Amino acid sequence: MRKLGLTMLLIGALSFTALGCGNNEATDTDKSKGEKMDTIKIGTDAAYPPFEKQEGNGDITGFDIEVLDAIAKASGLEYTIENTGWDPLFYGIDNGKIDAGISAITITDERKEKYDFTEPYFEAKQVILLPKDSTVTSLKGLEGKNIGVQSATTGEVVVQQAFGKTYENLKGYDDTPSAIEDLKLGRLDAVVADNGVLLEYAKKLGSDKFKVIEDASFEPEYYGIITKKGNTQLLDKLNEGLKKIKEDGTYDKIYAKYFGAE
Amino acid sequence: MRLVTRDVKKVNLGDINNWFIENFNMDWSVVVDYKGYFIEGFFLTIQLTTVGIIFGLIIGLILGLMRVSGNRWLIRPAQIYVDIFRGTPLLLQILAIHKAVLPTLADLVGLDAPSSVTSAFVALSLNAGAYIAEIFRGGIQSIDKGQMEAARSLGMSYAQAMRFVILPQAFKRMLPPLGNEFIALMKDSSLVMVIAVHEITYAASTASKNTFEVWTPYIVAGVMYLFLTYILSRIVAYLERRYSTSQ
Repeated sequence: MRKLGLTMLLIGALSFTALGCGNNEATDTDKSKGEKMDTIKIGTDAAYPPFEKQEGNGDITGFDIEVLDAIAKASGLEYTIENTGWDPLFYGIDNGKIDAGISAITITDERKEKYDFTEPYFEAKQVILLPKDSTVTSLKGLEGKNIGVQSATTGEVVVQQAFGKTYENLKGYDDTPSAIEDLKLGRLDAVVADNGVLLEYAKKLGSDKFKVIEDASFEPEYYGIITKKGNTQLLDKLNEGLKKIKEDGTYDKIYAKYFGAE
Repeated sequence: MRLVTRDVKKVNLGDINNWFIENFNMDWSVVVDYKGYFIEGFFLTIQLTTVGIIFGLIIGLILGLMRVSGNRWLIRPAQIYVDIFRGTPLLLQILAIHKAVLPTLADLVGLDAPSSVTSAFVALSLNAGAYIAEIFRGGIQSIDKGQMEAARSLGMSYAQAMRFVILPQAFKRMLPPLGNEFIALMKDSSLVMVIAVHEITYAASTASKNTFEVWTPYIVAGVMYLFLTYILSRIVAYLERRYSTSQ
């Protein structure tokens, strides 16, 4: 009897789980069919301050998040935001778990093939973070030295372009703070990443210890909000909101708060 | 007599790759682009495993002997060591050793923080040591008490009895679990990719992240691990055979 009861319990639990899955799928399809847009799910990799980071209480904050919030308010979108991490953000958009991603994502031709981007909301440049006493003055000067980047970011791409795709001393970290920690500890000679991020860190670490240099070969790049290819309804809404906040000065206010006046 | 010449259709690797792209959405050229990392990763994984096995065996032997010594001042520390390294995730140990423990220790003695490869060697060895200690303890305790008593009554010291009577017999019994541990160690070495050590999984992950190709880098990495674990299991099997005939 006891065994039977246990089996029943197990079957019950399993079917309950299955039922749960079924329900989710149902709402998902409803959403794609529905005319009115429900709450959209946004993914981010909240380890890239000042663009996005997770506070001690779990809140996700940062420049991107405030821009997104302003866009949503301007275009009447409701949203929830989730800290998915960098790679799962893209997988999540592939399989529909999230609707859009804002995570300082550079608009590239490679990514455009797979995803849609909004109009740019930020102009970024790659810069090099170095110890104050470093004699390096350009990217080329880093040849043979240990360079840290966040894996699969533009920082990694520019180093690969300069020293080869499988450059031995290129260290790709899961997140930029880990690379900067290793620079602080002297394991790396330089970190290559976006200006927004490295300028903020250089400020935090103290300009007496670190400096940021630019390289003429780095072209400016633009951040966009990413959506699944073909989701024009959402894309239009986001673009509409972005246009509004750029026109009414909301964007400039947020920009000044994070990066100083332009 | 006429020589028959036949047109031999040349097999073009590019054509094969196109076939894969069209039919399976797999692009093998990604692996060729990143072959430098895959080759580096292959040899680094072997290095990580070898160092982990050697130092793991040394740490494990010392701790194992402490555990069976009968002296509580030796037993307790060994027990605490095993509890800590077996009771926390290896990933956590790698991160803590790389970011906190080694930089702090290096700073205390006035050295530069060791490289990420060094951190990986240290973390894997310390972790393997805990598991191997338990294998040694189990192996030694599985030998009949009478063996030790007989050896001691023949006038051998405790160390001699351990060295010439107990350990050789125990080692034979320890080989199968040691083989498991070595293979687990090789697979666990993939975790050190989080501190940017260029082992096999780092190569696969980097190739995949930069190209959005989600199949081929991981398939190649998997085949590399299968090949290496196969070799390792053959070595352990050879040792088992060799030691079983000696009795």
